[in-house]
Amino acid sequence: MPFTAHDLRYHPEQSFPVLYAYLQRNAQRFLGALQYDAIEVDTVVGHVIEQLVRLGLFGGGDTTAETVFDRMTDAQFYAFLSRMVHNKAIDRQRKRRLRVQPTAELEYFQGDEGDESPLDEAVEPVWGAAPFSTPEEITVHLASQLELRDLLKHCIVVLRAAPLQLNAVVQELRDIGADELLEDIFVELNMEPPAATQNPHLSQHKDHAHRKLRHCLQQKSTNLTVIVALRLIECMASQKKECQISTEQLVGDDLSFDDVKIGLRELAAEGLLDWQEEETVHLTASQAKRLTRFYREE
Amino acid sequence: MSNINQFGGMPAPRPSEVKLAQWLQNILYTPPRAPTEGPKPRKAWSDSRLESQLEMVMGSDYHLRFYQQLPDFIEALLKNEPGVTLRYASLLYHLAGCEECHQGYLELYDALSFALAPQETQIILTREPGTNTPPRMVGHLCRVLISQAEAVLKQARREHRDEVEAARSLLQLALRFSSRIQQSAIRRQATQDLVRVATLFSGPTAPASEDADTGVYKYTPMLATPGGVRGRKTVRHTELLGRPRDQVPSLISLQSRGLEGSIEQQGEMLELRLQGLGPELRGKHLLVTIPLGSLLEPVSWQGGNPLAIRSEEPVDAQGSLIMTLGTTSLRLSDPEEHNLLETLFLLLEVRQAE
Repeated sequence: MPFTAHDLRYHPEQSFPVLYAYLQRNAQRFLGALQYDAIEVDTVVGHVIEQLVRLGLFGGGDTTAETVFDRMTDAQFYAFLSRMVHNKAIDRQRKRRLRVQPTAELEYFQGDEGDESPLDEAVEPVWGAAPFSTPEEITVHLASQLELRDLLKHCIVVLRAAPLQLNAVVQELRDIGADELLEDIFVELNMEPPAATQNPHLSQHKDHAHRKLRHCLQQKSTNLTVIVALRLIECMASQKKECQISTEQLVGDDLSFDDVKIGLRELAAEGLLDWQEEETVHLTASQAKRLTRFYREE
Repeated sequence: MSNINQFGGMPAPRPSEVKLAQWLQNILYTPPRAPTEGPKPRKAWSDSRLESQLEMVMGSDYHLRFYQQLPDFIEALLKNEPGVTLRYASLLYHLAGCEECHQGYLELYDALSFALAPQETQIILTREPGTNTPPRMVGHLCRVLISQAEAVLKQARREHRDEVEAARSLLQLALRFSSRIQQSAIRRQATQDLVRVATLFSGPTAPASEDADTGVYKYTPMLATPGGVRGRKTVRHTELLGRPRDQVPSLISLQSRGLEGSIEQQGEMLELRLQGLGPELRGKHLLVTIPLGSLLEPVSWQGGNPLAIRSEEPVDAQGSLIMTLGTTSLRLSDPEEHNLLETLFLLLEVRQAE
């Protein structure tokens, strides 16, 4: 019997043998000379099965959210599994080749494969390299996109509760010439740029600040705060001076009502608006200006 | 679906942005975690232990919240959805510093790109499974499911959410899959973390520490072999531990610190039989705790709580006791159901009732 992503999610016990058989056949196909090594075959299959569990699909039932796998056609899902097997098989072959091998074993690998070595197929795919293929590429994107930099600004401002840590970060940003970012932060915090000082515990303050920033930047609530702020700014564009916006207006395809409430709570906690779970958000002209200045203006 | 994405044609960043990016990379980087769980047998590919156990790639400390966002993030990238990087900004900030998740992103991106691109060749799926699933693969699946349950519980604790049902569902699945493994040793390896994870964060009901002075006897099943049940000092070999279907013992033999006991079935009733209990327990009622008891619904426990089953009778003058644990429609004479019950009794604690 063929299986589907739905089967793996809701009927894992019945579909596991068929899934295993499908993955095993693909593993044997892509492992080349290693196809006769049962451990290698199962290592490849086991890797894909682990991914299916870790991604919340296999045995996930209704306890995990639906993802792209649940929206794929069966052919697309099989293609996904097959490609996962293919990539892991190539990885295993590379690892085996890298190990110091006796001459006889090298001949075993190079002898009978002819032109069909799967390693030869490991070229860049037709759809091009993945975006964000390196951490460097990601951070350049984060640093150069206005809306993504808003998250950083937000998290640096959160550091105001620990002035020594905030100063340590300000000093670092000043050293790298991030003047525009600093200017926004000083305006938001209504503070003068601190004088450069030699704090004997600077390194410690930096470490603590970095840890807090790392945590803040990866928080879902941080992201929602910025998204809700940007959506408020969009809504305000059509109104003059003081404005009133229904919370329903802020909800969108990618932003649920609960998400909106999380973002609004954070903005209220930061003093950027007055909101206490009402159905309508009231923004004064000064609040609107402050919100726009911090999250939109460059 | 477009093959060209919006991120390839970005304008070159300004020098100040490059410096800010380098600074961000510095603060976001988190060194890879040291392995913290379970035996990792894959030291060398010739390692003989691999014949029964495969390595897990990720531990239960993997970043579940971010990792499970990857497929939809990648789909949104492939579809060039507007605002995708803002919507997944937290994930991007995470990927910039986490090698493990970034590696997963690259692997999934390639596979999803391949799958969602128009296919020129049709993938043929034959209908028959063809081969039996090897026990080590079922064992691997059990260990991954148990590890995943642990990851779910840890994540829920960090985020102050209740995910007990999700974790429980994964543990039940692991328990049911483990019953398919006929070899006791492989099944034991596959479920070695089951009790620990099932009692994780369970507070005062967690099993007491292994200490003779606490007055708690911790019974575990003895490994079954074709010749019957062997003592713990017997050297066993994995291949010898397969249990032919016609040699299923209709009892589960238990041991604890030199003491022996068993679980036997009378009709639907499960009975615990203990011998050689110490003088301090004679004439006293006992309290039995089965930490995995609540995982298996087909067992109706005496008194309703598998964590506190009180013996109807006191221990006799010879240190023996026979007590009812509960009733079940499962049969000890059925190989898979026997395995299921044996795993359920991976740990059975006995102490004097208050």
